Amino acid sequence: MSDDRLFLSTDKPPAEPASLVDDFTPGLITQANHHLCPGCGEPIAIRAAMEAAEELALAERTVAVFGIGCYTAFAHNLDVEVVQALHGRAPSVATGIKRMLPEGFVVTFQGDGDMVNEGLQEVLHAAARGENITCLLLNNGVFGETGGQMTTTTTLGQRTKTSIEGRNPHQHGHPILLSDLTATMDGAAYVARCAVNNAGNVARTKRYITRAYESQMAGAGFSLVEILTMCPTGWFVDTLEGPEYLQNTLAPVHNIGELKTP
Amino acid sequence: MSERVLIEGSEAMARAAVAAGCRFFAGYPMTPFTELLEHMAGLLPEVDGVCMNAESELEAVGMAWGAATTGHLAATGSTGQGLSLMQESLSEITNARLPLVVFNMARGQGDYFQATRGGGHGDYRHIVLAPMDVPEAVELTQLAFDMAGQWRTPVMVLGDYYLAHTYQAVSVPSFDTAAPEVPNWALDGSTGGSGAAKIVSPLGGGVEGEEGFDLGAHYAACAAHIQAMATGVEPLIDAGFCEDAELVVAAYGSVGKFVRYACLRLRDAGHRVGYIRPITLWPFPSEAVHKAASGSAKAAVYEQNMGQMVDDVRLATMGTVPVEFIGGPSWDHSGFGIGPDINVPDISERILETMP
Amino acid sequence: MNSPLAGERELMLTGIGGQGVQLAAQVIAQGAIADGKEVLVFGSYGGMMRGGNTDSTVVISDQPIEAPPVLSATWSAILMHHQYWAPLRVLISDGGLVLVNTSVFEDQLDRDRYRVVEVPATDVATDLGNPLLAAMVMAGVYGRTSGLVSLDGLVEGMRRSVPPYRSQLIEANEAALAKGWEMAA
Repeated sequence: MSDDRLFLSTDKPPAEPASLVDDFTPGLITQANHHLCPGCGEPIAIRAAMEAAEELALAERTVAVFGIGCYTAFAHNLDVEVVQALHGRAPSVATGIKRMLPEGFVVTFQGDGDMVNEGLQEVLHAAARGENITCLLLNNGVFGETGGQMTTTTTLGQRTKTSIEGRNPHQHGHPILLSDLTATMDGAAYVARCAVNNAGNVARTKRYITRAYESQMAGAGFSLVEILTMCPTGWFVDTLEGPEYLQNTLAPVHNIGELKTP
Repeated sequence: MSERVLIEGSEAMARAAVAAGCRFFAGYPMTPFTELLEHMAGLLPEVDGVCMNAESELEAVGMAWGAATTGHLAATGSTGQGLSLMQESLSEITNARLPLVVFNMARGQGDYFQATRGGGHGDYRHIVLAPMDVPEAVELTQLAFDMAGQWRTPVMVLGDYYLAHTYQAVSVPSFDTAAPEVPNWALDGSTGGSGAAKIVSPLGGGVEGEEGFDLGAHYAACAAHIQAMATGVEPLIDAGFCEDAELVVAAYGSVGKFVRYACLRLRDAGHRVGYIRPITLWPFPSEAVHKAASGSAKAAVYEQNMGQMVDDVRLATMGTVPVEFIGGPSWDHSGFGIGPDINVPDISERILETMP
Repeated sequence: MNSPLAGERELMLTGIGGQGVQLAAQVIAQGAIADGKEVLVFGSYGGMMRGGNTDSTVVISDQPIEAPPVLSATWSAILMHHQYWAPLRVLISDGGLVLVNTSVFEDQLDRDRYRVVEVPATDVATDLGNPLLAAMVMAGVYGRTSGLVSLDGLVEGMRRSVPPYRSQLIEANEAALAKGWEMAA
């Protein structure tokens, strides 16, 4: 890993003036400053989602529905219309919007605690209905906002504040593999899982999200993109170790790839 | 107005809702709310509206929430039991300042507090309208949609089994199929990319880190709005024979119709009894109740529960008259709050026993 | 002061499922509406479609109805069968009007308290070709005897009440209503 890292030299003045963060900010993110932790994967996932929307020229027909988690901070930072929903309830809210705006483009942003714990029935019912919306699951295997407790997607052996010796199936049960479950449903048109822990995976994430959006715009039915995101704070690992931890802990269980295509 | 028809309360309310502009409905079957859902499922397609047989009450209210953000008039409903499940969303919808009509076809009268005290977490109230019969339900359904739009808030229509299943001759308004006017706060995606895309959130609007984004200020504005409704919504009440009454009896909803009928018969028999029937349960018509009870020696409250509205009557009369609770929980084995305790002779007897 | 209750007339019907009690209530109620009156109907029936208890309450007035959906006294009654009539028996007002289907009704009536009109409704219906028309015969008798609903109103009410899949029965129903009306002369 360390070979890939970028080291900045500090022993001489920079050759170019410093660039503003905004220079790298996608057009549909209005305010790049966020207070999410260093190393968090969620801003990368949201960036990919907004870049894909911009590239498909969906901005003027998009309504994004936000669940509750760290990523909720971005609900106020986007230049698309946003509905803030409750923890777990975004798929139903998105359903009501899409049914009244069938020409609109509707996407939800939810974490694993939101979508797979609190709101599992919502996403499964929306998928079964073939609701023509796109749900994005930002899965880091922990409750990030409350400080690293176990969720339904926490993998066996994974240490969290409520499974301090590691998730034990006898005591804590087994993880739910949401994308695999959703892919079995007739109403689901596109289901894929990806990650944002390295450049290749970030590119893949944007590709999958783009396919999900295209699937909705073609009226194919329900689409889900599960994005494995780093939460070094909630995982109790160093910031720089997050990507590798994701690769070794989440990815072997929540397998990356397209699970269902139209 | 179309011709007068013999129509079941559930269908009358559904027709009145669509006539009032309702274009989205989501619900989960539960007696005695079920028929309202069935009628909405049949009627809404006639006006290119949408009715969802939601997978749960949680999802029904969520769907209605989403539909409401698009500026189309939306409604949901259930019984008090299902409303328990919906409360989390109803609280947040209130803070998101969205219009929504909620049909609560309650089982009996045990849910007065749930209906009038906000029902969920947070510091809020909903406008609550309690019709006594089918013709009044038609009127109040129209009013509920008007108020929901005017105040941008959930408005509850509180009915019950009797209202749902009684047939009465009513004139139901015809449907207006013209495209409804969409309010300027509503979402349709079109402000995306403008640099000032709209947001509908129970946490308020604005861009994080910029002026206008302030959760404390948003909650203060929500509280001010509740206060504005408390003083600005016209309280409605039906009262009779209070001027020379020795006793006034308060009751609401279908049960209020039984009590009113009992009072009419007692008047015919020469007893000086009056009745007060609050129609808006929130805001409670405190001033009118106070005035109606002020000339009498005593006030009584009949409701089918352990005593809930009696608190509001006592607050309204502020100790100026003794207020006696003469109701009680339902004996009904069906759980729907229909008889055998709700009957005119029993109510009349309790009233006579309470006469000063 | 005239009581707002003075103009209200109550009717309670009882029978067993399949006798057309709910339909008769609808026809009388719809007929009263066709005649321009105010109407309230509240029905209840057991879980069984056929053979179980079935009751209905109708209130008719020229003014908005004050009565609640469940009555504690009734001015008139239609007794299609004796099986489940006990709860209704005590609700009939003194001086009221009781129509009894003598073809099947087997119980004592409190003849000193109210006026009894005997109608062999099931026999008459059978003569008309279908015993299921008994409730229509009874409705025809009731309209004329009570003075609450006209024959034209009853026929119109019947047309509004018969579901589309039973529309082939409209003619027979109309004949049964007319027969009942004629019998009440």
